[in-house]
Amino acid sequence: MVAVTSEPIDPAALLERISSAESGGTDVFVGRVRNQTGGKKVRKLEYSVYLPMAEKLMAQIENEIREKWEVHDVVMVHRIGSLSVGEVAVVTAVSAVHRKEAFEACRYAIDQIKSAVPIWKREILEDGVRWGNEGSCI
Amino acid sequence: MIRVGVKFFGPLRDVVGSDEMDLSVSPPYTGESAFEALSSLYPKIGMWKSSLRLAVNLEYVDFSSVVHEGDELCFVPPVSGG
Repeated sequence: MVAVTSEPIDPAALLERISSAESGGTDVFVGRVRNQTGGKKVRKLEYSVYLPMAEKLMAQIENEIREKWEVHDVVMVHRIGSLSVGEVAVVTAVSAVHRKEAFEACRYAIDQIKSAVPIWKREILEDGVRWGNEGSCI
Repeated sequence: MIRVGVKFFGPLRDVVGSDEMDLSVSPPYTGESAFEALSSLYPKIGMWKSSLRLAVNLEYVDFSSVVHEGDELCFVPPVSGG
């Protein structure tokens, strides 16, 4: 299950959703808005998305995971809109028979989201505004 | 000339001041020629070139890929989700 949502994300509900009697291991990654970046105090983050492409890529990532590892269920949910410090921005979770598959697949899911899925954060800092990854541009 | 749609996000949206536009593209009708057409309208976009990826109809492709009338293009700035 993949989703992009403007509603708050409940990691516990997602964990419950993918847990089953046959899953011996479930790995969950929760990404929250940090209070500082590069020494600058963060007020909030504003996430925007190229929605149809993001949904398509996240579904492809889920398919790749199911091909590479023997997993029971996969969840990837990303929040968009304006988020305050401490709010959950992203959750990836994988259930499997054993921990190895769950750990590896969950890490793959968040790494792929961060490197490929068209979502951008605008950082509203105490002393200015900038796009996330700005240092890597130009 | 062909016409394609172009979507803008992140810092590119700031430069263009719009979410999307129709763009006329000259031969050889590639992602490269679409980018040249766009940067002639918005010269500041030129300096982003090395950090952009091209998506055509929701898939990442090379700048050398051919584009067709009515395609949806996006020059994707570095993503920063998570």
